[in-house]
Amino acid sequence: MPQYALELCDLSRHFQLKNGVFSAPTTLKAVDGVSLRIPPGETLGLVGESGCGKSTLAKMILGLLPPTDGSVLVNDQVISNGNRFALAKQLQPIFQDPYSSLNPRKTIRQIISLPLQLHKVGDKRSQQASVKQMSDLVGLPERLLDQYPGQLSGGQRQRVAIARALILKPSILVCDEPTSALDVSVQAQILNLLMDLKQELGLTYLFISHNLGVVEHLVDRVAVMYRGKLVEQGTREDIFRNAQHPYTQALLSSVLTPEPSLGLPELLDDSAWANAS
Amino acid sequence: MSRVLEVKNLQVDLPTANGTLRAVRGIDLSVEKGEMLCIVGESGCGKSMTSMALMGLLPKKAKVSADKMEFDGLDLLSLSKKKRNGVRGLRMSMIFQEPMTSLNPSYTLGNQLCEGIMRHKGLTKDKAEERAIYLLERAGVPYPEKRLSQYPHQLSGGLRQRVMIAMALMCEPDLIIADEPTTALDVTIQAQILRLIRELQQEFGTAVVFITHDLGVVARIADRVAVMYAGQVVETGLTNDIFNNPSHPYTQGLLSCIPIPGKTAPGSHLESIPGGVPSLIGDLAGCAFRNRCKHATKGCATDTPTLVEFTAPSSHQVRCPVSVESLKEAV
Repeated sequence: MPQYALELCDLSRHFQLKNGVFSAPTTLKAVDGVSLRIPPGETLGLVGESGCGKSTLAKMILGLLPPTDGSVLVNDQVISNGNRFALAKQLQPIFQDPYSSLNPRKTIRQIISLPLQLHKVGDKRSQQASVKQMSDLVGLPERLLDQYPGQLSGGQRQRVAIARALILKPSILVCDEPTSALDVSVQAQILNLLMDLKQELGLTYLFISHNLGVVEHLVDRVAVMYRGKLVEQGTREDIFRNAQHPYTQALLSSVLTPEPSLGLPELLDDSAWANAS
Repeated sequence: MSRVLEVKNLQVDLPTANGTLRAVRGIDLSVEKGEMLCIVGESGCGKSMTSMALMGLLPKKAKVSADKMEFDGLDLLSLSKKKRNGVRGLRMSMIFQEPMTSLNPSYTLGNQLCEGIMRHKGLTKDKAEERAIYLLERAGVPYPEKRLSQYPHQLSGGLRQRVMIAMALMCEPDLIIADEPTTALDVTIQAQILRLIRELQQEFGTAVVFITHDLGVVARIADRVAVMYAGQVVETGLTNDIFNNPSHPYTQGLLSCIPIPGKTAPGSHLESIPGGVPSLIGDLAGCAFRNRCKHATKGCATDTPTLVEFTAPSSHQVRCPVSVESLKEAV
């Protein structure tokens, strides 16, 4: 058993922005010195507004973007940039939009079995057997396997994305806003599925979301990101009951729950938390 | 209070290759002056079609019919295209969902803000710009004078939505239709924008039809709510009635799906509504929700339910005979 399923050491990613031909390029620090540790079997929620660097961080963890500085350790091992195959066996993504993350020209069966073919796991028959098993696990009816993504509803597509992510039996899933494109009734189904799968397979989740209600429901620990930096992290109780950073407090107070008696939160001003860190 | 908008039995039919898609199947709506009516429902339930039909923005091939569609005494159905154009923008205006795409990238903000009022009210450019600056300031846009010469891409999403709101208010309309105006925004910005819409609405006495899928937003800003499912209103009433006493199985299901911090036990199994929305092509016999409903009886497959008012004073209406029965027994 590794000590940490996922460990980020001082991870940074800077982009050089060219402003014009004659002016010197400026540096955009999309992710700036982020350190995180997730023990196996835990769910970490990463929250923050759009443009705070959440997705850049996820891309670096997935090996899709080389970090400027720092390193990513998966199951206590550094995965070098060239070795995506080794990484894919341990860590898989689920993306936000199930409408664009599935190839519209492949059948569901082809989509789910593609990782097995690429990694040359088993023969054709055993691959088909595990596709069937996996679709059972995520609650996808077998009759859908020979259909195309266009014929499926949003919730069904997200189940396909989950099945594809799990078919190589990874230990870590990076979920980047997995339910924000779905309706609330379907969102509940997918959240239930993710919780069941975690119990059944002992998965570790990095759960990126801006929906704090969902994050509170699902995660063990929370990390709050603001302008490329982690401004606060702690257990669920720490963050939701006793948030310290003004930005976290602002985020929490803008969660709109269906309770009509509460009214709208006080008007917030960015300056309250822009300079506090 | 005077009634700004009254719609009876609105229907929108769209011809598709597989038959007629009946997107909106007989909706009754009414909005009073200065009131915020929220239409809430999941994707595909016809809420955007309703808003487009009210604004008269549907494509020609879509068939809109209604028994009554009256805007402040004007019959919108029989209005000529020219007269309709005179109403739209001047007396009823719209805030769209995506501030990224609903502003024209190749015109300045000043140009887009002033175009409507110059055309409708014949104001000079100076006067129009004066009003634009005033409204931008009221909408909380910093440096409003500078913004008039800027282009949409120079502004953040939140600022663009503020510009959209200012634009909708330019001609002092009687009715604003806001179609998911905060869906594309961050939660902190969303709270600011909602507060702004509410404040300006109360200040100018504008009636607002607010369309959203987010019950959290509805609970916090609406005066009255209409819950839509499969092209029909399944429950309508005052906000407190809907949230404290949800009576249609669909409304109950939607509310129990949402994890509420502090109330729902973390990690517990969430309630969900099984199955999916029925196809809207052709006619639906019986209750559209019956396949996903816990309380469905045999009668639900054959009898098409109507909206029934069950508490006389507060006009809380439900389209479900089963729950109306049980509610009457409870009373």
